[in-house]
Amino acid sequence: MSALGYFDNPWALKIDLMLRGIRVVDPLAKAWACGTSGIDMLLPEETLVNIPCREEFTERSPYELRKREETHYITDGVSEMNAEILPMPEFYSRKTTTGVPFGDIAVVHGSYTVITPSPKCDFFDTDSECRYCTLNKNIDGVPKRDFTVEEVLEAVGVVLKEGLSKIIYLSVGFTEGDDGGIEFLSPYIKAIKKHYSCLLAVEALPPKKNRWIDDTYALGADSILYNMGIFDAELFEVICPGRSRLVGRKRYLDALKYAVGIFPNGTVASHLIVGLEPPGSTRIGIDYLTGMGVVPILPIYRPRAGRTLRIEPLTTEIIIPVFKHLYTAVKKSGVNFKWVRDISMVTTPAEASMLMEGAESEMSLLKNLYGSHLGLKAAWGLSTIRRKLRVKNGDK
Amino acid sequence: MKVEIDTRSIWVLLGIKTLRPLFFILISIGLWAVVTMEPADGLSPEGQRAIGVFLLCLVLWVSNMVPVAITSLLAIVLVPLLGILPRSETYAFFGNEAVFFILGAFILAGAVMHSGLSNRIALTMMKRYGHSPRRLLVSIFLLAAVLSFFMSEHAVAAMLLPIALEISKALGLRPGRSNYGKLLFFALAWGSVIGGVATFLGGARVPLALGILQETTDSTIGFIEYTVAVFPLVVVLLIVGYLVLTRIFPVDIPDVAKAMGVIEKRAKGLGRLRYSEYAVGVVMLLTIAAWSTLGHTIGLSTVSLIAVAVLFVFRLVRWKNIEEYVNWGIILMYGGAIILGSALDKSGAARWLVESLISDWATSQWAVFAVFSFLAIALTESMSNAAVIAVLVPVSIGMSDNLGIDPALLTYAIAVPAGLAFMLPMSTPANAIAISSGYVSVKDMVKGGFIMFLTAWVVFNLVAAFYWPLIGLGG
Repeated sequence: MSALGYFDNPWALKIDLMLRGIRVVDPLAKAWACGTSGIDMLLPEETLVNIPCREEFTERSPYELRKREETHYITDGVSEMNAEILPMPEFYSRKTTTGVPFGDIAVVHGSYTVITPSPKCDFFDTDSECRYCTLNKNIDGVPKRDFTVEEVLEAVGVVLKEGLSKIIYLSVGFTEGDDGGIEFLSPYIKAIKKHYSCLLAVEALPPKKNRWIDDTYALGADSILYNMGIFDAELFEVICPGRSRLVGRKRYLDALKYAVGIFPNGTVASHLIVGLEPPGSTRIGIDYLTGMGVVPILPIYRPRAGRTLRIEPLTTEIIIPVFKHLYTAVKKSGVNFKWVRDISMVTTPAEASMLMEGAESEMSLLKNLYGSHLGLKAAWGLSTIRRKLRVKNGDK
Repeated sequence: MKVEIDTRSIWVLLGIKTLRPLFFILISIGLWAVVTMEPADGLSPEGQRAIGVFLLCLVLWVSNMVPVAITSLLAIVLVPLLGILPRSETYAFFGNEAVFFILGAFILAGAVMHSGLSNRIALTMMKRYGHSPRRLLVSIFLLAAVLSFFMSEHAVAAMLLPIALEISKALGLRPGRSNYGKLLFFALAWGSVIGGVATFLGGARVPLALGILQETTDSTIGFIEYTVAVFPLVVVLLIVGYLVLTRIFPVDIPDVAKAMGVIEKRAKGLGRLRYSEYAVGVVMLLTIAAWSTLGHTIGLSTVSLIAVAVLFVFRLVRWKNIEEYVNWGIILMYGGAIILGSALDKSGAARWLVESLISDWATSQWAVFAVFSFLAIALTESMSNAAVIAVLVPVSIGMSDNLGIDPALLTYAIAVPAGLAFMLPMSTPANAIAISSGYVSVKDMVKGGFIMFLTAWVVFNLVAAFYWPLIGLGG
């Protein structure tokens, strides 16, 4: 038995690793993590995890990544578990024909590849910026340009060809306007859908008018995320002042509710960041969102130096019941959670099921069916047929 | 992009989508069954197949599952394919005079509209006569009717729509609420419909009926002869229409001063009469004169095409301008309908249908006349008026021999009522245009349209019974 007690359950260990991070001694592994948000590893039972290793708080982590002969393992000094470092995709060492490193355009997180075509957000470097935001990387102050549709297409093409991910995740920062960023993303969504048979998730701001949600679906988005981040109204106002003032918590909830009626069951999601609000508040958020038909996704807050917003104390013992509650809530509400799977950055509801007794069959079903090539093709085909049936073009 | 998301159950949507292929599978099986089954007594195998194609087209025309023109093309393909008529003969029917008359009429109407002449006439008439709510209403009603004597009723309704909308806006009429708003758009729609039956030019259905008549019997009806026969009906329907409308929707505004402002502003915007308007007007008048005097000798279509040539010789219009006014779908539809009618006739199917289906109750000339006119006026409410002609005329002509009725008389019995659609927006584009304004609801249209439907049928039969003998028709 380990000192920490999670080595017998990779899914519990995943949560603890995401909370505490890991110390990396191996220079090769360090190089891997360099330039990305953490190190992508595969624990037993094909449990994918992105472990923070660069942040200050990870220096105090009890976990260390070591290497014995050719095998990496994680240890807390007492117990150990073999873990495979996912090979650095060749993708990261290549550039687009215009000379942009693919790694600048897209980041692979397990079965998802996140693409942010514009590095801008109107909140960056203002009082309105979300306090936990880690996306503002414009350290040198030189304005970054938007990636062109062709560059993004090229990146998607390489990602799919290398088999790195099956789902493309487009995200956009805050901009003034009624559309929540969809007008900007529209050519990217259309181009990706036109050229590739892949599933597409879109993370945007809730638009002021619901017709933009209709448009998002009609354009080709298979999944939509309006990430609240924090459910507690007061904390939302304090930690996300810009979004609170210019979008409003109510609009988040209204837009999510409306989107549930438009998108397929289980494809409307919202992040609730564990650690930014009391666990009880996260639980209330989970109940509220699942009650509407929304899938809550629970990333764990990674504190940055000088910006410690984490609720203390925060331990895995406290967090695990929240994830268990997540699984219970999605099951109870009948929300399909199969869409949200194999993400290294978060513990999905399906993974949360593995923290409970007797839920093994669901994970194996997910892996065997939904994760298979045939399963993905079927999901894409069904999603496309559904869109063809539902969308009526008013211009016709 | 303007999209709408249908949030009904996916199974419901899937069911709806499945209906379409299912429909086509079923009608294909139906056609195959009719074509392959043993021919009925007295019916040749070609006749049986012609009936199969006829039923297929009937279903497609009524259901509107494919555009009417495509149904006609299907008929053109199936007639030779099933061995009903030889291929060369089938396609030769497409060169029927009626098709070219319709083409010429479309181009002439396009020239009148493109030159701005029709718009000028409309505005001048309204400016001159429309100084009170009732007079303005009558102006629009009569204007729509009179313009439809010379050009397609659909084009007239479409041309007057923006003017009527501006008048409604200037008068502050509330869509769906204002009686006067309803009256304006009813006047526009019904005026076009009633006026559209007065001559060959109001729509292509009369030329189509004539085409079928000519192909099957070698007889025809003259331009003036037709107008003289139908004109009293038009006058009575205009009066009844006005009375019905003003009774159901009493005028609810005191004056039309603001509307006059709009009309005057628009009329001023037209400037002085231009050479092209003047010249197109002269060509149109000469054409009508030639139709009336030379139609019998050189043919209506020849007159139309000469007029079209004159327009282009004098560069009064350019092909690019005319293209948008020519409804090629209707031309294809009519060509197909003539082929289908000829196939029914030449294969003996029309005669067989008449003998086996209608001969029992067709005890007198007038019973047959009344029944066919009723079928035509009833069917035209729910299907294209040209389709009504295509379905009924060949059958009625097949009957004329048995009963000793002049086939031209039965052609009138169908061609005229087939143009009188008052009840539903799908009956004719003029009604659809009135509904699209937002001032007239379908309920309003059914209410007033039903009275007009019955009135039109009764008046048509009365005109045929008492007036036509006076002019030597059907006596």
